[in-house]
Amino acid sequence: MRDMSKFADIQIDKAIIKRAARGDARAHEILYRAFATPVYSLCLRFTRVPANAEDLVQETFIEIMRSIGNFRGEAAVGSWIRRIAVTKSLMFLRSAWTARSQTLAEGFDDMTAGDNLSHGISRHPDDAMDLDAALANLPDVSRTVVWLHDVEGYTHKEIAAFMGKTESFSKSQLSRAYQRLKPMLAVTQESLGADGAAAQGY
Amino acid sequence: MSRDEKDEDMIYGLTVDERDALRTGLLGLPETMPPRAVWHRIREQAEAEGLISHPRSRRPSTWYMGGGLAAAAMLVIVILPGRVETPGVGTDAPGFASVPPPVVEIYQPEVNALQALMVESRQLETDLRSLPSEPRVVRAGTQATIIELEDRIAAIDYQLSDPTVQMTQGEQEIFWRERVRLMKSLVRLRYAQAQRTAF
Repeated sequence: MRDMSKFADIQIDKAIIKRAARGDARAHEILYRAFATPVYSLCLRFTRVPANAEDLVQETFIEIMRSIGNFRGEAAVGSWIRRIAVTKSLMFLRSAWTARSQTLAEGFDDMTAGDNLSHGISRHPDDAMDLDAALANLPDVSRTVVWLHDVEGYTHKEIAAFMGKTESFSKSQLSRAYQRLKPMLAVTQESLGADGAAAQGY
Repeated sequence: MSRDEKDEDMIYGLTVDERDALRTGLLGLPETMPPRAVWHRIREQAEAEGLISHPRSRRPSTWYMGGGLAAAAMLVIVILPGRVETPGVGTDAPGFASVPPPVVEIYQPEVNALQALMVESRQLETDLRSLPSEPRVVRAGTQATIIELEDRIAAIDYQLSDPTVQMTQGEQEIFWRERVRLMKSLVRLRYAQAQRTAF
């Protein structure tokens, strides 16, 4: 797994982990302060709704408190916490899909395709939020797969395991997402090229 | 190149440059901090479920008022006003020789001491906000000290803003002076923390 995630940058003393495993409130607060932002960002990226992301942050850190006694330190604590956050977020999304009586496979196509068509992807290079907006406009599953694969560095096999689907499913989601993001990437690259030329005095 | 990456080049229809641009863009998207209230909710649930040992209450009980006043009064007696130097909340530890950002000393005889302390406190808040966000490498001792200082400042703020607590100007001055002292320690600590991260 290529770990490009911001979780990987965060280092925590083993002493804090040990204290947290004993239920030390201060140690848990330190863990929270260190990881709250990446956990919240990930949950918000997946759900797009701040209130849902806040609930997921709460569920994630409560799960950390329940399970940290079993954490053996074989992986980095950041990877462990990220896995909990991803699992909680996917469970939430799955429950939302279930509530709408849709399967995971159809949910992403049918639920938000209309949104994408109506809003479209910003192609304006001056739009500071273009990538953010384009990502937000992707169907939930596609967006989640892009994030897990390209930012968190999970393989298709791992993503498939998270989602209870096949590797092909993960790959096809990524492919569809890329096709939707591609027009915006061309604009971004043109913009970057122009900026670069300007910076070099051309 | 991993199998995944080979697959992507063949299947996903993006050039290497496009892939790089996308990844760079995604990694550069801003992160968002959760609202402060989220931690309070987590702590309350954790305490209710017995997942954490009961921390010292952040909301001071009545004893705190008397204790805080007594402690602050002792401080005022022992250390002359205007020369309050932090005895060091871990700030004199080896490798902690950072010089904190200059703090504007307020000395205006025509302004009463209480107002001067309030202005100094606001200045310290500004200094604190100007520092970079907390580093990703977290040291247990430093972080615990920061939390302790923030707790003590919060406790003082609670007392100062509690409408049911009637304080004389002298008592308010004692609290504000203690707040300034704690803020100075906090600024020094956060400044040193930021410097360690920078180098």
